[in-house]
Amino acid sequence: MHIEISRRRFLQGSVALTVLGTTATTALFSKDKTGEIKITTKTTNKADKLVPTMCEMCVNKCAAIARVEDGVVTKLDPNPYFPKSRSMLCARGNAGIQALYDPDRLKYPLIRVGKKGEGKFKRVTWDEAFEYIKEKTVQILDEEEDNRSSFLFCAGEGMAEHTFKTFYQVFGSSNWLNHSSICLQTVAAGYGLTLGSYPQSDFENATYVILAGANRAEAIVTPDTMDLFKNVKSKKNAAKLVCIDPRFTNTAAKSDLWLPITPGTDLAFVLALTYVVLDEELYNKEYVEANFNDFDEYKEHILSNNYTPKWASKITGIEENTIYSIAREFMEHAPKAIYYPGRRSTFAKNDFQLRRAMAIFQALGGGVDCEGGLVFGKTLKIKGHDVSSPMYDNAKSRAVIKRLQAKSGQAGYEDCAIVGDGGSWISWRNSFLEDKQPYKVRGMFCYKHNPMQNMPNSKKTAQMLEKMEFLVCIDTMPSDTVMYADVVLPECTYLERTDPIKTFGGTEPSIAVRHKVIDPMFESKPVMEILQGLSQKLSKPLFEITKKYDEDVQEMLETDDESEVYAEFDLSVPFMHSQEELNKDAVRDYPEALAMLEKHGVYYPDMDKYFKQISANEYEYYPKSKRYYSVNEGRPITSSNKVECKIDSLARNGIDPMPLWKDEYIPKSTTGKFKLTTGRHAQYTQSGSTNNSMLNDLMPENYLWLNKRVAKEKNIKFGDMLEVSSNVGAIRIKAYPTEKIAQDQVFLIHGFGQESSSLTWAYKNGGNDNAIIEDIMEPVYGAAAMHETEVEIKRV
Amino acid sequence: MARYGMALDYKKCINCKACETACKEENGILLGADKHRIWVGVKEVEGEFPLLSIASQTFYPSQCQHCDAAPCQEVCPTNATYYDENGVVQVDPDKCILCSYCINACPYDARYVDDRTMTVDKCTFCSDTRLSRGEVTTACQNTCPTKVRIFGDLDDPNSEISQVLREREYFTLKSHLGTQPKLFYLI
Repeated sequence: MHIEISRRRFLQGSVALTVLGTTATTALFSKDKTGEIKITTKTTNKADKLVPTMCEMCVNKCAAIARVEDGVVTKLDPNPYFPKSRSMLCARGNAGIQALYDPDRLKYPLIRVGKKGEGKFKRVTWDEAFEYIKEKTVQILDEEEDNRSSFLFCAGEGMAEHTFKTFYQVFGSSNWLNHSSICLQTVAAGYGLTLGSYPQSDFENATYVILAGANRAEAIVTPDTMDLFKNVKSKKNAAKLVCIDPRFTNTAAKSDLWLPITPGTDLAFVLALTYVVLDEELYNKEYVEANFNDFDEYKEHILSNNYTPKWASKITGIEENTIYSIAREFMEHAPKAIYYPGRRSTFAKNDFQLRRAMAIFQALGGGVDCEGGLVFGKTLKIKGHDVSSPMYDNAKSRAVIKRLQAKSGQAGYEDCAIVGDGGSWISWRNSFLEDKQPYKVRGMFCYKHNPMQNMPNSKKTAQMLEKMEFLVCIDTMPSDTVMYADVVLPECTYLERTDPIKTFGGTEPSIAVRHKVIDPMFESKPVMEILQGLSQKLSKPLFEITKKYDEDVQEMLETDDESEVYAEFDLSVPFMHSQEELNKDAVRDYPEALAMLEKHGVYYPDMDKYFKQISANEYEYYPKSKRYYSVNEGRPITSSNKVECKIDSLARNGIDPMPLWKDEYIPKSTTGKFKLTTGRHAQYTQSGSTNNSMLNDLMPENYLWLNKRVAKEKNIKFGDMLEVSSNVGAIRIKAYPTEKIAQDQVFLIHGFGQESSSLTWAYKNGGNDNAIIEDIMEPVYGAAAMHETEVEIKRV
Repeated sequence: MARYGMALDYKKCINCKACETACKEENGILLGADKHRIWVGVKEVEGEFPLLSIASQTFYPSQCQHCDAAPCQEVCPTNATYYDENGVVQVDPDKCILCSYCINACPYDARYVDDRTMTVDKCTFCSDTRLSRGEVTTACQNTCPTKVRIFGDLDDPNSEISQVLREREYFTLKSHLGTQPKLFYLI
């Protein structure tokens, strides 16, 4: 066996070592013997304290233990007590120290002095920042006659997102945008409507797994990544893994079968699998009889439309015989077979129907709410932080564009059929830019969110932020979006704050908490404290505006004392208590929880009895007999407790009530152009982590994957600078010729190529995918369809 | 007194590089892509799209093999490289004169230069960090998502590593050179 294991030799010709020896010299603390400042700190035998906390380098929320020596966080280790993260921290989790000690962090409140986007700010005190926000907010709300919806609120995902959302609620706006329309909207809704919930996967016990468009080796999800890759390849009786991905990924490298599907055609593949299973009657008849609604109609629909493997092979590029054998093998292994729901943004316009078809196919084998299948699990209830929101008479409803004269059977909105809680970011942005909204939105509060990088067509986002009269950003880093802010409020990083306690449902449910490890550095604060100060500053002046325009309030004041009326409109009430106090209250139903959470950061009933170390490095959280594989007797948790094959309410909104293929779903393929796909990477989350000096060592910039033979024809070599252009923009990025991608496609990793010059490592480090992805929406929720763009490439 | 070694269930490795970052953070290793004690060796996939060989794409976690007959130790003119009481190959920076013989002698490319001390540095199995404070796992092992690594005393027949090496097939790297490496790749 020839084994090539030298990393240094490997790197010479590869993606990872184009920047050699970029020793970072910008750390805040540790100095070496020569006095030069370095960014890693060797651990010693003396630890002042070990603090259980939770990671925020991505969305997974793994449990960590922070080692603190002389007030400096020297190491983040996995916390073994947390079932979800299986005692691990990935590269990003380890590199959280560099997020804490990032020299580019936002350190002080800032007010813009330059042009929008230019990044010129002056340092101000917190009070000056709040005072400025108050003046602008009062002015806008006075001019807009107390229409609270003239402010937009948007937030990225995180444990404190809810705290910020509470501010939006008491402020009284109707305009809320979060990550869902550029994230999980279609998959969550597709599974929610079909099976009752977006389920988890029991990879520990499955014996057959189809991962389609889900790169779990590189886009790490806990516990899925750990459970899956411990259960394939390396052990006896390993599960069989079928990887369906246009690219040869690290997941493909761990699979038994890799099928490079034509991007955007997964729906045809699933429909053909379903066809085989129905035609050959391989489905679990007993299960279907007991647990399906409208099965006969669905069967008739699939068979009469002739969704045969032969038909699908032309569309998907996957061979007919392969489709037959996968359908048969899946059903042989069912119910311990999983067609993985995936955890990703929307790729193609048919994504909602794809998820419905996947959920129904899974259920045909009975692998729902059972060991080895899709599982709903149990969630330990904690007390919420209930806040009553004031009613503002003049607050208008959400600024969405209704379709005039829509009839039954047609979408009610111009851009989509349904508007979810998180809204459609693209639709909102574009209608704002096109002056189509029913009233003026003039101000924006943005928390931990980077629309400049996170949503297709960043040129339009820049125009939106330029047009927005007043923008307040709460963030830890000077992101591309922060560059457009009028006021910047520096949040501390996750290691410097206690966040709302969170319950994690699953087969092994638990409650966990992010404890503050060290005090906030510089003048940064937790968002809870930021909102405490801001709401105290805003509350009374904004109430004066309400008094001026709100007839209901005027009427109340005729009979009631003003202080009583104001009490209902006091914005600062939800932020009166400290996070620690609120967390205590959240678990008041579990007498032992507080002590356990303090000591271990994690709690679940009978933890002291169940938790066991099984080797030097592995742990058991619940004995197998106590895990919640089944919580609804193997049935879906829809209101009917049945699998919903046909949903008539969808039809009333112009959405196909059953998944079906349309010719318009056949991907565009223009000669001379390439289909653009994007994705994730195990060492980076999104734009939020690309300025991390430790992770930068592992990959300093992103590259454009293109097929080696195509590159040769075009005389493009590794590292050559390319211009990649689409209908909406162009980027520059270096070439990575590889056979891991088809001749008509190109790929790049998301989150790179930032324009903020305040980011030492991330500034122009490669290409920003969203500068070239077209702003195309899928029709159900208006979610961004990320893989519908074609590009041209040329060497520059 | 022990004889430490490490078994690698390498087929579980997904090349996430958690181990590399954990090593750097624990042991205070310099930043820079060329400064590292451990790494994941990647072999580019063979074949032409779409006919690629899945088996050809491999991830081999690697580092100092802590050879029982270490060429680096033999060539060191100042005895800077030595075996500690646990059979771990160590470098004494006070004795190292950066002659770089060891770097060239190591068949595994496991050594590099620490720019701060201008001496040779390499994996120590976290001897002076984790093990010295009584922990029984290395940083790379502890953090690994798929639990590729098993570390322990090869002289203790009851240790997890001794048991796994009795039960499973494995290979070692370049063993024909007579280095007697103590990293074992489980098949």
